[in-house]
Amino acid sequence: MKKAFFVAVAMVCASASAAPFVWPAAWSADAPSAAKKGGELRLSTISDYKTMNPFTSAEAESIPGRLGTGTGLFTQDPRNDDFIPYMADKDPVVSNNGKRFVVTIRQGMKFSDGQEITADDWVTTAKIHMDKAVGSNSYSSFYLNDKPIKVTKLGKYQLQFDFPQVSSSALSRLSYTPWPDHVFGKVYNSGGAAAIKQMWTLNTPVNQIVSPGMWNVDSYRAGERTVFEKNAYWGEWNKDSAGNALPYLDKMSMRIVSDVNAGIAAFIAGQLDQIGASTADQLAQIRRAVDGGNLKAEILANVSPQASSTWITFNWNKASDPFKQKIFRDVRFRRAMSHLADRDAMVKLVYGGLGSPSYFSLYPVFEKAWAPAGVPRYEYNLDAATKLLAEMGFKKKDKDGYLVDAQGRRLEFNLSTNAGNNQREGLMRLFADTAKKVGVKVNAQPIDFNVLVNQLTSTGADRPFDAILLGLSNGANIWPFGVNVVPCSGNLHSYNTSGKCLTSQEQLMSKLYDQGDQELNIARRKTIAGQLLKVESELQPVVYLASPNYHVVYNSRLGGAYPRNLMDAYYTSRTQALTFIK
Amino acid sequence: MLPFLLRRLVNSIPTVIGATILIFFIIQLAPGDFLTSQLLNPNISKEQIDNLRRNFGLDQPLIVQYFYWVKNLLQGDLGLSFAYQQPVLNVVAPRVLNSLYLVLFSTLVFYVIAIPLGVYGAVRQYSIGDKITSTLMYFLLGFPSFFLALIVIYFILQIRFATGWDIPVGGMTSQNYDDLSTLGKFLDVLKHVAIPAVVLAIGDVAGTTRVLRGQMLENLNADYIRTARAKGVSEFKVVYKHTFRNAIIPFIAGIGGLLPALISGAGFTEVVFSYPGITPMLLDALNSQDLYVIAGFSLVGILLLIIGNAVSDILLSVVDPRIRYA
Repeated sequence: MKKAFFVAVAMVCASASAAPFVWPAAWSADAPSAAKKGGELRLSTISDYKTMNPFTSAEAESIPGRLGTGTGLFTQDPRNDDFIPYMADKDPVVSNNGKRFVVTIRQGMKFSDGQEITADDWVTTAKIHMDKAVGSNSYSSFYLNDKPIKVTKLGKYQLQFDFPQVSSSALSRLSYTPWPDHVFGKVYNSGGAAAIKQMWTLNTPVNQIVSPGMWNVDSYRAGERTVFEKNAYWGEWNKDSAGNALPYLDKMSMRIVSDVNAGIAAFIAGQLDQIGASTADQLAQIRRAVDGGNLKAEILANVSPQASSTWITFNWNKASDPFKQKIFRDVRFRRAMSHLADRDAMVKLVYGGLGSPSYFSLYPVFEKAWAPAGVPRYEYNLDAATKLLAEMGFKKKDKDGYLVDAQGRRLEFNLSTNAGNNQREGLMRLFADTAKKVGVKVNAQPIDFNVLVNQLTSTGADRPFDAILLGLSNGANIWPFGVNVVPCSGNLHSYNTSGKCLTSQEQLMSKLYDQGDQELNIARRKTIAGQLLKVESELQPVVYLASPNYHVVYNSRLGGAYPRNLMDAYYTSRTQALTFIK
Repeated sequence: MLPFLLRRLVNSIPTVIGATILIFFIIQLAPGDFLTSQLLNPNISKEQIDNLRRNFGLDQPLIVQYFYWVKNLLQGDLGLSFAYQQPVLNVVAPRVLNSLYLVLFSTLVFYVIAIPLGVYGAVRQYSIGDKITSTLMYFLLGFPSFFLALIVIYFILQIRFATGWDIPVGGMTSQNYDDLSTLGKFLDVLKHVAIPAVVLAIGDVAGTTRVLRGQMLENLNADYIRTARAKGVSEFKVVYKHTFRNAIIPFIAGIGGLLPALISGAGFTEVVFSYPGITPMLLDALNSQDLYVIAGFSLVGILLLIIGNAVSDILLSVVDPRIRYA
């Protein structure tokens, strides 16, 4: 009995100490037996890399971001959105009412220079990100309501994370990329933030760059191309379901293509393996090349809506013009405006049919999982709009055909969007045209982007605009509401930035936001999301319009894409680990 | 000559000071700053943006920022790029070098085509050849260079499909560049630079050819040429020694602009051919309001213009014996 117990313990220890992470076969449409080894994945990006330094990097597409591919204590499974242990050995031990996470680190992981990845790397990385003087882009993710997350080393392979409050995004927040303590730790201790900022610039020889992830920098050519090579040490703890080391690819290159047309041309010429086509015109060009027999490529149009939103917001803080302020604060007016948005026409005319209508602050790509059926939608309906406006007192029309109230004041407002964005300008004009049909005068005007943003984020009782058409993107599906958007104190609480909630619904939404943000159970979070969406939709503080769709286009020589049902704008179309060249 | 150059140097000091003021404050006229677009990120807090603004010195009054910049300029420091977190010179230098290959090659092609065509058009005025080139030139005058580049890319793709030849459609090097020998590397870059350079040169040839042709004609009909011919000077000498030398004087005067043009890149041709030159980077910097990249680069351009003008004045005195600087 005793002996059997020891054997069992020994077996558990052995499997725990050297067990690799096995990439589920279901994450690829191709079986592991079909995969070939070697080759180069050729991708492109629109603007040049700015730095190799993970602590100063600020852009979505970056060298540190690529080096961090295949890192993080936990990773999200695209099949069910669950977080599964990745660099962590097993699920975390949660205590202290959901505020303390003790995580055991997988053993046998190494940086690209052969040094082991241990608890120190996570502690040092967090310390540097949290230093204000460094100015890291990840700074905010280590703070909740200005209170820091505490990262403590319990042992070489054990970490403890203490959150100042319960956070639904806890697992995502602690899944940051660990950077080598043996490279950054010493520099930070002796030179502080200033020394960290000088490290790993674009002029740093690439053999000095140490990667924790799947890729290592092979060469960097300014403005032209960056080539990554596989980190063989990563393959020691990342295996496919047949036990082969990953990635299958030897290399991955990112070419800088500053013009979208040049990118499409390079893809059609077979020089790129994947391209982010976004318009009907671009898809048609590629389709022609495929039909002409000049290119073998897979074109999957309308895979999902994009993770973005486009909307019109009305200014509630307009002390200088009480008439307009009263209109904008009237829920009937905003519902009428939603009835005036001909979302189908917007999708057809502005996005060439490649878009999706949207009704909530929730990005349409998350609607299927997060929006319950009963949430009210104020769809395109001119009669309903006319009726609501009549209830507000706008019954008669003046000699120009615009609605006026009993005192003869015309229903009229200015609407602006950023000049140069053709799609937004198109949406704005379409909205203004439909509004005219029922007698609402919309003075549509494109203005400079930065002026627009400053107007939108201005604060106080009197802000310098009537209505603005803009868009947002970024965000995850864990708690898919913006911390800057929903609570009344947020600087993107665009309709009312007075700092105080002006309606009970806003108060309720702020409360529901916090509730959901502090709920660890996803099913309960979804219930709260449903309540929040219902309040939001009834209040209709912002009129949501439509989003463009996400398309997947790749050269047929690529294998290992996600099965079609796993692809969407959030999880994209494949993991690079399971991608191979046929 | 030396006193003249010294006088030039002293004169250029107020010009440069004026230029720094104009550059710095005109850029600041644009609304917003480098961090404005960050305000639209739903996950970055206002506090963090304020923190970055402090780190970048963008919270200081403009006049303070200006004098700070000038102080650094005097120490030879053009400032720090916000986006790259690096000194501007380090960021800009490799791109300028790339542009230099393209611009030098294209300038060479440009003169090789423009001068003979201009001379030919004048010497064989109204011949069939002159008429054909004239018509072609008028067509080209109407094409913006980036549009010509787009058309060329379309035809390259068609040729690739039809023949299977590996004609580059953009970039500066091939995917396997790092594995090539030194000669192979040189040829590879040449192959990539050739097409944009020729497109760029042809786009510019039209104007110059027309002007040169006009200049040549004016001089060919002058009295001193008739005198030369009457003296029995050979036709070759008449055209190239007497006429041509006079005809190119306006072009020599324009050489001053060539020096800044060498570093300022090939414009939209670089963007369309996704060439890693300075233009895509400057456009990026303009878009994101990376203040010191734009300011620093503009200032370098102005310094080169001042030097270039001095050089072209010296060259003028060499070509035209009537000009003397006392």
